[in-house]
Amino acid sequence: MSGDITTSLRIFFVGGLISFRALFNWLSPWIYIPSLLIAPIFQILLFAYIGRSAGIESDAFFVIGNAVQYSAIPCLFAMANTIAGERSTQTLGIVLSTPARRIPLFLGRSLPVVVNGFFVSMFSLVVGSLLLGVTIPRSAWLPLALVVAVAAMSCTGLGLTNAALGLRVRETAVLSNVLFGVLLIFCGVNVSLDALPDWMAAVGSWLPLTHAIEAARELAAGDTLGSVAGLIGREVGLGMLYGGVGLAALRWLEIEGRRSATLEVQ
Amino acid sequence: MSVIEARDLRRSYRTRTGLWKREKKVVEAVRGVSFAVEQGELFGLLGPNAAGKTTTIKMLITLLLPTSGSASVLGHDVVDDAREVRRHIGYVFGGDRGLYERLNALDNLRYFAELYGVPAREQKQRIGALLELVGLTGREKERTEGFSRGMRQRLHIARGLLHDPEVLFLDEPTIGIDPVGARELRATIGTLKGQGKTILLTTHYMFEADELCDRIAVIRAGELVAEGTPATLKQRVTGGHVMEVETFGMPESAVAAVRSLAGVSTAAVEERGQAQVLLVQVGPGAEVTSAVLGCLGGVNVGRVSSREPTLEDAYVELVSGQ
Repeated sequence: MSGDITTSLRIFFVGGLISFRALFNWLSPWIYIPSLLIAPIFQILLFAYIGRSAGIESDAFFVIGNAVQYSAIPCLFAMANTIAGERSTQTLGIVLSTPARRIPLFLGRSLPVVVNGFFVSMFSLVVGSLLLGVTIPRSAWLPLALVVAVAAMSCTGLGLTNAALGLRVRETAVLSNVLFGVLLIFCGVNVSLDALPDWMAAVGSWLPLTHAIEAARELAAGDTLGSVAGLIGREVGLGMLYGGVGLAALRWLEIEGRRSATLEVQ
Repeated sequence: MSVIEARDLRRSYRTRTGLWKREKKVVEAVRGVSFAVEQGELFGLLGPNAAGKTTTIKMLITLLLPTSGSASVLGHDVVDDAREVRRHIGYVFGGDRGLYERLNALDNLRYFAELYGVPAREQKQRIGALLELVGLTGREKERTEGFSRGMRQRLHIARGLLHDPEVLFLDEPTIGIDPVGARELRATIGTLKGQGKTILLTTHYMFEADELCDRIAVIRAGELVAEGTPATLKQRVTGGHVMEVETFGMPESAVAAVRSLAGVSTAAVEERGQAQVLLVQVGPGAEVTSAVLGCLGGVNVGRVSSREPTLEDAYVELVSGQ
């Protein structure tokens, strides 16, 4: 029994890291820097200058919203690729023919994704603030980092659900793109939830990132961690909900893939 | 109890064509296959492309659910007890893919060692021994994207053995490898057999099956058409002889005419460079040389020879369905 736990822990930590190195397509600096460090700055600048010219919201509003939201790129795409990428290397069948427990196997793959999403958001937050002259109180940075980590975690939960579809279909990047757009519009990234139609705000409240973005803005405005605990709790809850749905989908789609012979379709 | 048992295994696929007006079609890939493999036995599953060999293996290694029938490995049902089956089997397939290209050979093996639950303290020694076995010692720090097909195949073998499985499934492991590499791989398979592993091997190469297998089953269009030792399968065509006619520009109509001759069991054409060699299996006591040459009027004919039947001839007879 203890051997089984040790094996699962090793699959989670060691296996997760090795598979991330094996499957994360952006690991080269030539791809990583333009895609994950420069592109979010472009997005921040675009919306901040639109806001300035339209005379709405503050630079801090756009920096925080877009920096936190950009973690969706690594969290959705990299997570999806941890399974879809196995198709192109033709390793999916080999991996699924091992006795490895699926929860540590797939959750372990999500841990480096969360760390990467956190790094991308924090980098965007720092650089975006410097470029636009946004001042965030020194005392707010640590709680902000916590909120950004929670956002990356909850978005990776959605990414896991998206990744599960990789067991059934080949084109996970299509859905990742659609989800990125949905998060950009519905989560209050550039238009606050109050200004969105009611139904869009209602959808947004069930998506990852929405509550984290709101919490981050309040922290940057001087609120304490305790005062945004409710928002953080909701964000964690949504992350766990999506992660749970993802794991259930992985289990179901693996069985369905064995039934319908789709696991190794190229 | 047999180590591997397949009982009336069946598997069908649904395929769809078209974008708007979709047509569904059901393909029966495996149609009632039954066989048993005993402890320490090397069992060959032979058949042409799309005969159902790989589908059968994939059901046995738990990657596909049978449409009906059942199978077990070491007494564990491949559907109800899949995880237990996975603990005891190794799976190796032929071809270029199936490795993490960005990782080196060592990390490829380390990853699967983790998935198979090989204890950390044993991994180094186990991986070192396997690299030695497959002749990759000294190359383990290189990324696999630079590996030749033979090296990849040997790495696949090492991966399949990481957890020291009792049962090995080798799906065309020597496909596409140069003769020297294939010979080394066959030697490795022989070593594994010598260690008492139970092995199910699929291959297209008759000499390979003849050299390695204790027993062979021939599968055609999803059904087993023969089973036995290489010697007993060869006996199916002994008593007669095989006539080989080298031709250039052989039409299918001439082959059909040869097939219809009295005394001819089967006739098939094999491409050898620019030439097409007509292989005619002749029944015991029959003399068909002039009749065969008579069917080839207008075809450029080269060397004509006669020889004893081989396992390949038995295979050709079985899979050509005559």
